[in-house]
Amino acid sequence: MNLRNNPALCDKLAAEYVLGTLKGGARRRFERHLRDDAVVRRTTDAWQARLVPMAEFARAAAPAGQVWERIARRLNLPVRHAAWKFWRHGSLGFWRSLGTASTVAALVLATVLGTQRLSAPRLDYVSTLSDDKAQPVLVVTGDSRRQRLSVRLTGLERVADGKTLQLWAVPKQGKPRSLAVLAGRSEVELPLTERAVGADVAMLAVSLEPQGGSPDPDGPTGPILYKGVWVKL
Amino acid sequence: MSNTQAIDANQLLAWLRGTAQGDATAFRALYDATSARLYGFVLRMLGQRELAEEALQEGFVAIWHHAGSYQSQLAAPMTWMTTIVRNKALDLLRRTGGGADTDASPFDGAVSEALQDPAATPIESLMMSRDAGALADCMAELAGSHRQVVGLAFFHDLSHSEVAHRLALPIGTVKTWIRRSLEKLKACLGEGERHESA
Repeated sequence: MNLRNNPALCDKLAAEYVLGTLKGGARRRFERHLRDDAVVRRTTDAWQARLVPMAEFARAAAPAGQVWERIARRLNLPVRHAAWKFWRHGSLGFWRSLGTASTVAALVLATVLGTQRLSAPRLDYVSTLSDDKAQPVLVVTGDSRRQRLSVRLTGLERVADGKTLQLWAVPKQGKPRSLAVLAGRSEVELPLTERAVGADVAMLAVSLEPQGGSPDPDGPTGPILYKGVWVKL
Repeated sequence: MSNTQAIDANQLLAWLRGTAQGDATAFRALYDATSARLYGFVLRMLGQRELAEEALQEGFVAIWHHAGSYQSQLAAPMTWMTTIVRNKALDLLRRTGGGADTDASPFDGAVSEALQDPAATPIESLMMSRDAGALADCMAELAGSHRQVVGLAFFHDLSHSEVAHRLALPIGTVKTWIRRSLEKLKACLGEGERHESA
């Protein structure tokens, strides 16, 4: 069988190889051609490009967290801080994605304003913190007139015994600053300070910490559960 | 960053290049952006969480090691990663001789809906990469029975005779439907295709 001189056959076999219906001896022979012949490889690549996206028709499902831990262990990657330093250099699209997030935050603010006009607070900071599935979990607003920061949880997952959620202000440079240990409360009011609204603060994040908060004064020790852009209006 | 947003090929490409240079943060971002899609796929193929997790794990270890040899002119990032993870799942499938029990239900709802009428699930389709969206549009032009045959073969790694058995069709019919479907898909996808075959 000379596939090079029979492009129609080569194309047919490549398609069935990628689809999976080419089996047994025919499959093994095709794989030999695939190793030895660049034309066969190119034809097969083209069929991969056509058919493999079918994989995305399957419903997405979140793998267990241990899968990443096992991968990181196998490859000797830093596990503990990898999730936390998501906004650092290397995460290229991160800062670019802030634009979209700000739009979402502004929409949330419009809603918040719409429902609070009577009491006329001056909400000039807002952040919607979302989980890794982009579900909003927490809304934080800052009122510079009353100097209050209010945190409201919209749909809190149960936190395991002995654990607590901690809210952080994340500056573009330097270490995250703790704003509050949420300790299972669904609404928290705090004084609005420079810690939270300094010009360098780009986003807010919530980490899972031992009871009483992170033992490390320079930042979280647990995983980041929720995060959102902190927008000044 | 999120699994629920459309998969942006340029963003994946940037992370893949970072991964090739040993940037663990970029690799983690790549995992966060694609693992739910890839896991959903291998879970569908293998039907068991443990096996699907093993395929995903082996796949990402291979992605880390081979990111340096990724060539963007040959395949979109998602296609390249899916192929690697799929091959790991196929290895497992052949080693364990098992797989999802496809007799009971050939497809779960989402696959079946996407195969039947991709345009009817706009939110789901927004989450697909551009390549998957284009394929869904072209598959929508196939007859429903042809789509099912193609999808069954792809998702469950079946031979012509196994597809024929599952659907109680003559093997000659299955072969013809698959051949015609592949020709039609090639023609339909041909227009906007970057990687023309030889």
